Amino acid sequence: MMAQTQSCAAKETERTTPPLIRLENICKSYGPVKANRDISLEIRAGEILALLGENGAGKSTLMSILSGKSRQDSGTIFVDGIPAPFRSPRDALAAGIGMVYQHFMLVEAMTVTQNLMLGQARGILNPSAMRERVLELASRYGFEINPDAMISDLSMGERQRVEILKLLYRDCRVLILDEPTAVLTPPEISQLFAALRRMAADGKAVVFISHKMKEVLDLATEISILRRGEIVDHFMREEVPGERELAERMVGRQMDTEVEQTPVEKGEVLLELSHASCGMAQDLTCSLRRGEVLAVVGVAGNGQRELVEMVTGGAAPDSGKDSVRILGRNWNDFMRTRMGRKSMVYIPEDRKGLATCPSLDLLDNFLLTNRNGFQNFGFLDRRHSATAAEDIMQEYQVVADGLHATAGSLSGGNLQKMVLGREFFREPSLIVAENPTQGLDIGAMEEVWRRILEARASAGVLLVTSDLHEAMTLADTFAVMYRGRFIDVFPRTDAARVESIGLMMAGIRFGEEEEAANEA
Amino acid sequence: MTWDIFVALLAATVLAGTPLLYATMGELITERSGVLNLGVEGMMIMGAFFAFIVQFKTGNPWLATLAAGFGAACIGLLHGVVCLIFQGNQTVSGLALTIFGVGLSDYLGAPFIGEKTVGFQPFDIPFLSDIPVIGPVLFQHDPLVYISYLLPWAVMWFFRRTSLGLALCASGESPDAVQAAGLDPVKMRWLGIFAGAFLVGVGGAYLSLCATHMWTHNLTAGKGWIAVALVIFAFWRPGRAMFGAYLFGGIMAFQLRLQALGTTIPSSLMMMLPYALTILALLFSSARGKGRNAPAALGDNIAPGA
Repeated sequence: MMAQTQSCAAKETERTTPPLIRLENICKSYGPVKANRDISLEIRAGEILALLGENGAGKSTLMSILSGKSRQDSGTIFVDGIPAPFRSPRDALAAGIGMVYQHFMLVEAMTVTQNLMLGQARGILNPSAMRERVLELASRYGFEINPDAMISDLSMGERQRVEILKLLYRDCRVLILDEPTAVLTPPEISQLFAALRRMAADGKAVVFISHKMKEVLDLATEISILRRGEIVDHFMREEVPGERELAERMVGRQMDTEVEQTPVEKGEVLLELSHASCGMAQDLTCSLRRGEVLAVVGVAGNGQRELVEMVTGGAAPDSGKDSVRILGRNWNDFMRTRMGRKSMVYIPEDRKGLATCPSLDLLDNFLLTNRNGFQNFGFLDRRHSATAAEDIMQEYQVVADGLHATAGSLSGGNLQKMVLGREFFREPSLIVAENPTQGLDIGAMEEVWRRILEARASAGVLLVTSDLHEAMTLADTFAVMYRGRFIDVFPRTDAARVESIGLMMAGIRFGEEEEAANEA
Repeated sequence: MTWDIFVALLAATVLAGTPLLYATMGELITERSGVLNLGVEGMMIMGAFFAFIVQFKTGNPWLATLAAGFGAACIGLLHGVVCLIFQGNQTVSGLALTIFGVGLSDYLGAPFIGEKTVGFQPFDIPFLSDIPVIGPVLFQHDPLVYISYLLPWAVMWFFRRTSLGLALCASGESPDAVQAAGLDPVKMRWLGIFAGAFLVGVGGAYLSLCATHMWTHNLTAGKGWIAVALVIFAFWRPGRAMFGAYLFGGIMAFQLRLQALGTTIPSSLMMMLPYALTILALLFSSARGKGRNAPAALGDNIAPGA
């Protein structure tokens, strides 16, 4: 309510106060790709402007131009009505524009205070005075932060606070945040939003880049929608037509936001963990049957990587070979066998690196995991494999410059479809997928989801994801991971538990939330 | 009697450790800025040569020291040209620098082999040099030794208490963060290369002006490489680097004395001692733990226009 009235007040003054920053006809191309086309935008004090768009819509390009990191091909940036050519981040900072990048720009081996002093203090340093300033600023915006902590010891949420403090310390008038909620737990998200509202109320302009509709509707006072490098729509908060319509404008076509998940009959147990441990992942117990999607959800970095490495054979379980049983065999026995058809496949998160060799062409990448099926006396049968790979490209609608395009030249969505096709070619019994739709646009995302559900009919899927929406869409069973352990494992039908996944991701067990609420 | 030998050994430790201390501090500064420079041996021997030749021609040891520093820094800048401008491979460029420096100093110095110079002479610091044990060990040396006492503290202060030092260290950890803060990490690395090479050159100057007072073939004898190893041994910390330099200086002095006493151990084995210890030190310091890590961006080039 408070935010609502504030934004109305801000809207009143909007016509009288000139914008802090005005972009006029900004264009930027990377080779043949037009990342930004004729973008005009106004950024006003006291407003929270959301830039909504799919991945690859040009949001990040626009913001890196605004923050001085890259330069526009044409068009002008006006600061207080005066044209301001930005040659480096330094110029943008001098104009009061600061950016919180998706990948934090912090020195991990230094303390919070040292990071704030970097580039801001001159000559001989006075760390204790700086420390005081950090504490003062942090308390003003409700941030809890230890100024002497090393960045490497901080959580992602805390690091983000340090980034924001850096900008506040510089007295930036415009704060740009690139996908700020991607690495946060739900409680951290609401803390961040509270702080951002506070900053807007203090007369700062906040620009917030996101592709998550809910967050945008929750926080923004103005919304601009970017599609294919152009601004296609602009709304004030009061005029917003609704989440569904917003989504349609974002992707530019009618879309069904829900992929239907209907349960299929479950078969035999394919993967069984009993008190399995591997590095940070500790004491994991669960089982996965044929026809089931087991979604391991949690904020990235809570042991998911170790779990995946253990299951896919990258690291041996610390808890002994019998704590992990895959397709009816213990870990040692299973890993010793050759993984051919009807076995396990792995869809890694890192598409251009683990899943494919970016510099090899699609056929070679196809053969990387399917070569066993195309051998004649030890020689590769390229003709038959080419036909098979072409069939996959057609079936999965992979848009590419033929079979001999390098994997690196494909967009994320097309490459992921190719990877899925390649792996499902072996008709797997067990599928391990790690954030399979990360960085994909909605169209490709839904396609990937549909394929996974399709494959589920004859396989078990271990889905490791940090995208709650994805888990909700696909999962038959949830396992919530926090600090290396499963906080809880429960079926989709347990509505009460499903409801509190967000809290579990922050380490609060089911049933503990009321206590936590009472304490608060 | 044995006590006197012990004091003499400690004094010799300081003398042997000083060139290592200069070179190690130099390489430490360079590496903290994110540049791996394996050309220490080459820059050091060129520093020794510049010092010798200027001393030989002018007779002024201070001028000779400055010449060594700036001469070595100029050679170090070649490394900067390769790595900072042309994004070349830092390991290869550094190795090339060593081969170049050793070869060039041998070529230029050939006519002067065996030539003697005056260089720096030891002088006692009043009062302090009269303290028993500590006086003879620490305060009866050349001016370059006295300056080196201040060096680790100065470097520490520079890293911790100056904005320039902070930015330099940050460039070795995360050039992106430096850039986002509105600073230029490449400039910091130029500074790291220049300042580091200067100190390495002074370490070389110590060899020709204070240790030998003459020009000979292979004056550095691998001390540059020991300095590279010491930086790793010291976990990139100035205080530890000082400890390491004197530890290795002690071993060098000790094996010389032992040989002089006429032990039955073959001299070649004795001479091997510092290098064997280098390998051991590297082995032990490779067992990683918290706070022992190299600067995160060490050896990574900064892409232009990023």
